[in-house]
Amino acid sequence: MFSYFIRRLFFVIFVVWGVTFATFFIAQVVPIDPAVAALGDNAREEQIQEFRERYGLNKSKPEQYLIYMGRLLSGDLGNSLRTQRPVVKDLQEFFPATVELSIAAFLVALIIGIPLGIWAAIRQNSSVDVGVRVLALFGGATPVFFLAVLLQYVLAQRLDLLPVQGRLDGFLFPPPRITGMVGIDALLARDWTAFFDSLKHLILPAFVLGAFSAAILTRMTRATMLEVLSQDYIRTARAKGLAQRIVIFRHALKNASLPVLTLLGGLLGGLLSGAVLTETIFSWPGIGRYVTQSATSLDFPAVMGVTLLVGLVYALINLVTDLLYAFLDPRIRYA
Amino acid sequence: MAVAINAPTVRRSRPLRRFLRNKGGMIGLGLLVLLVLVAFLAPVIAPNPIEQNISARLQPPSAQHLLGTDQLGRDVWARVAHGAGISLRVGFGVVILSVLIGVVVGLLAGTLGGAWDNLLMRFTDIFFAFPSLILAMAIAAALGPNLNNTVIAVALVSWPIYARLVRANVLALREREYVEAARALGASGSRLMLRHLLPNTLTPIFVQASFDVGGAILTAAGLSFIGFGAQPPTPEWGAMVSETRNFIAEAIWAPTAPAVAILLTVLAFNLLGDALRDVLDPRARD
Amino acid sequence: MKRVVQYLATLVFALGLGMAQDARQTTLIYGGDWSDLITLDPQVSYEFSGGLITDNLYETLVRFEGTDLSNLKPGLAESWKVDRGANAWTVTFNLRKGVKFSSGNELTAKDVVYTFERALALKGPGSFLFTDIAALQPGATKAVSDYVVQVSLPKTSSPSTFLSILTFNIGGIVDSAEVQKNAKGSDYGKEWLTDHSAGSGPFRVVRWDRGSQVLLEANPNARNKPKLQRIIMREIKEATVLRTALESGEIDIAEGLTPEAVKALQGNNRFKILRADSLRLNYLGMNVKEGSPFANPKVREAVRYAINQDELVNGLVQGNGTKIQTIIPKGLLGYNPATPYKFDPARAKKLLAEAGYPGGLEFELLVSTGICGGGVPCADIAAKLQSDFAKAGLKANVKAIANAEVLRTYRAQNHQVVLVGWSPDFPDPDGNATPLADFGAKSIAWRNVWNNPTASKLANQASLETDANKRAALYKLLTELVLREGPYAILYQPAVPIGLSAQVQGFVRSAIGTVRFENISKGQP
Repeated sequence: MFSYFIRRLFFVIFVVWGVTFATFFIAQVVPIDPAVAALGDNAREEQIQEFRERYGLNKSKPEQYLIYMGRLLSGDLGNSLRTQRPVVKDLQEFFPATVELSIAAFLVALIIGIPLGIWAAIRQNSSVDVGVRVLALFGGATPVFFLAVLLQYVLAQRLDLLPVQGRLDGFLFPPPRITGMVGIDALLARDWTAFFDSLKHLILPAFVLGAFSAAILTRMTRATMLEVLSQDYIRTARAKGLAQRIVIFRHALKNASLPVLTLLGGLLGGLLSGAVLTETIFSWPGIGRYVTQSATSLDFPAVMGVTLLVGLVYALINLVTDLLYAFLDPRIRYA
Repeated sequence: MAVAINAPTVRRSRPLRRFLRNKGGMIGLGLLVLLVLVAFLAPVIAPNPIEQNISARLQPPSAQHLLGTDQLGRDVWARVAHGAGISLRVGFGVVILSVLIGVVVGLLAGTLGGAWDNLLMRFTDIFFAFPSLILAMAIAAALGPNLNNTVIAVALVSWPIYARLVRANVLALREREYVEAARALGASGSRLMLRHLLPNTLTPIFVQASFDVGGAILTAAGLSFIGFGAQPPTPEWGAMVSETRNFIAEAIWAPTAPAVAILLTVLAFNLLGDALRDVLDPRARD
Repeated sequence: MKRVVQYLATLVFALGLGMAQDARQTTLIYGGDWSDLITLDPQVSYEFSGGLITDNLYETLVRFEGTDLSNLKPGLAESWKVDRGANAWTVTFNLRKGVKFSSGNELTAKDVVYTFERALALKGPGSFLFTDIAALQPGATKAVSDYVVQVSLPKTSSPSTFLSILTFNIGGIVDSAEVQKNAKGSDYGKEWLTDHSAGSGPFRVVRWDRGSQVLLEANPNARNKPKLQRIIMREIKEATVLRTALESGEIDIAEGLTPEAVKALQGNNRFKILRADSLRLNYLGMNVKEGSPFANPKVREAVRYAINQDELVNGLVQGNGTKIQTIIPKGLLGYNPATPYKFDPARAKKLLAEAGYPGGLEFELLVSTGICGGGVPCADIAAKLQSDFAKAGLKANVKAIANAEVLRTYRAQNHQVVLVGWSPDFPDPDGNATPLADFGAKSIAWRNVWNNPTASKLANQASLETDANKRAALYKLLTELVLREGPYAILYQPAVPIGLSAQVQGFVRSAIGTVRFENISKGQP
């Protein structure tokens, strides 16, 4: 188990290095002058020269890569050309919002996907099953950006049920920033008004972001449950006259959970991708919006910082699911 | 995430008939046929997609404008219809490109083996272990926004699955008797690949590809939505939703029509993919 | 179970009663696209949103009031005078007594000296206003007494321009003691001032949640007591979201509405609409370098005749902008209302034929992917122009790319035709005339490779002319010349479409984007 863990960890490092190399390579393709990008239309020539000097943009590409890697090892991701401060600081500022949103969306996916999948499987080929399958098909094919715009229009503008933007009502004084996740910070400050208000602000973006994952999860849960339900021991259990509920929850669910678990890691990572669109539309101050704005202004140090962070998170999630899987399923050998 | 590896022990018992009995597959096929028809007939059945009439902007659907008009007074139906071909080209372009890359990498890794295999597959893992949209966005930003670059960007993040599929099948097939036999008879490596290995990996690639066309269209539309895609006035669906989203209150048809078009297209490919998998590869469900 | 009931009760309380009504009356939420905000440091900030906020955190020696951008009013300086010395100008400021910073420290001459030296030392993006335009040198600012400051400027510099530059945030006086206390190394407190404030303005920074909001609170020591306790600058980029947030009461002010949203809100008495003036010009720049088809004045003329400007302004921009064809915006001395170019595709075709392009002309039209002023996306304007051009035989291939890349291409003189905007750096016609007419200034005229010695000479002459009438006459000549010969097709002067809740009183926005928050209040609707 330990050597397996070490090997997986080594792989994580390798992936992260690969990501930095890939993004650095991509950044070199850009014909853009980041100095002009950062300083804008009215900047003078001298200012542009000075900027180039300050950010080492006059050096050769391999030199720039070595400098970048050297700094990276000491935890320095360089400075963002757009916000003009260390990328690490920007990530600290924006990542918690993404974590908050992704976790909420993940919960949405779980809460919708698993029960629906089980329900459909139990009632295979009934109208419930057909309905759930159609819903899941549509959920998997709807463009997330349109879902966001449409729900904003219907739920926020027409019906005025939910707030359309932000993480907290502007008239509330935000709780002191500890974790950067408004809901958690509100809990830590025992500010119930802010806590419930932050939940209210989470509902819409979390649902939009979680819808696609919910659809996939529904399909997966249904398929796995069907397979498990057709196994001999379940049939035996049923034949023995065990109550339906016990069969489902004690036996079938337990065995269906393993394949679903492997999917979850991938889903959580996929949410980070979806966050790019969702955050942009909901003015959600996370790294998804940050990376979009950075890419738009060709701020590659920032883009590299985000890809690095996301690559790391992604690799870690995969590592954890692999380990969990290995831990839960004794048949897996970690040779 | 492990990819289910199934040696293609496909039961060849009349897959066509089983496909015809698959309701989802037939709906998907129907939608796809419709889509292709619209794409080809767009110049005939729809008006000019870039002709503007500022004085008739944001008009609701009518006999004259079946799906209303957009913020520049362009006919939304015309734009949706002309967008069909664009989306299909994007979807197929991405998949063909990623299959090409994937097959080359997978074949090389599978047949060369050893250190090469290790290197190539770790390289594949890097791309696999990464949220596609962010990487595609970085690539699209670097290359400059236009539809061809979007296709390249999405393909560059979609190929790893094919590399894995191909490699896994190559490894499985290598152990088979007829390959051993062919090798014993002195067949060369490249001939082996072409004659025996490649045809046997086609089924899983085909199934995967039919899903990925839809996925690619969705990703490309997302990129266009945030400005890393089609150039105006190209009637690309994602870009259309993006351009008209600020008018949803005045003209809900303008962003909805292209969005529904995306939905139906992706749906068609997903249904087809499901059906093909059921028919061709019944053991690899979900 | 009891717990659950308790939670539910809290929930009902939270959702039902909301926050104390008090907070709603004393807090103002101002929504807009503040995503360009990088710093709240007055000597470093050069963005619109940064200027908007810092103007309310710091006071300047002299200032403009309301929408009047031509008459200087006293700020921290009660009075000032300009003396013509043998080799230099001397500007003397008499400071107001008893002004306090938010820290409680008194504002004196040493703070003014520190601020000016700080601006020169930090070399921020706006520092060229001090160094290049006003020619202010380090050490040229002296404290004569606690309440008298003297600045000497070289003879080549214009004291009136210097005074007008001082109205900008770069001239916002900082609390030298407080800043030095928080300085790191030789950074003049730059890092700290990025998200803190140390000014005498009516508000101070409480916290900045980047990408989300900046929270300002009334400065207890301010001499201009604000009517509101709190201002929240809420960052909202999506135009639809901005509108919805205003309608649902999540925000009080929405800046940057689409023309459609403006129309929808106009009929609703819960809201007010303000189309604030700006000094921005949106224009097409044509590269006239040798070998380019646009080197021929007839082709440029054809382009100007091939634009249906009325339809663009009335149909697309819809009142969020005004028609203009000359290079000095409305609101500044020298504005020329001439609009000789009418949409005439036949004439454009004829001009093209005369220029040697009887079969028409194909070119690339470069635009930014962003919003072009007046709440209209640049890509929409480009698509509109493209369709007009087609009628005159001009085939424009639109290329919408990141704004940064548009600017890079433009600066490198690598464009054919570019759709961009220009805002003067200071509210003076010279802020437009020199960059747009003088090739030697290496600015806009240079980027379009338009070198016209007469235009350069006129621009320079006008900038130094002190007599307003003579100056206006020179600008008349210049604008006529550039209108006919220049490398531009000016499209429109955008307005800033703002929606306000009917409760908001006292909101005034000047053409350079200043809003005095202390004058705003919230009454009963």
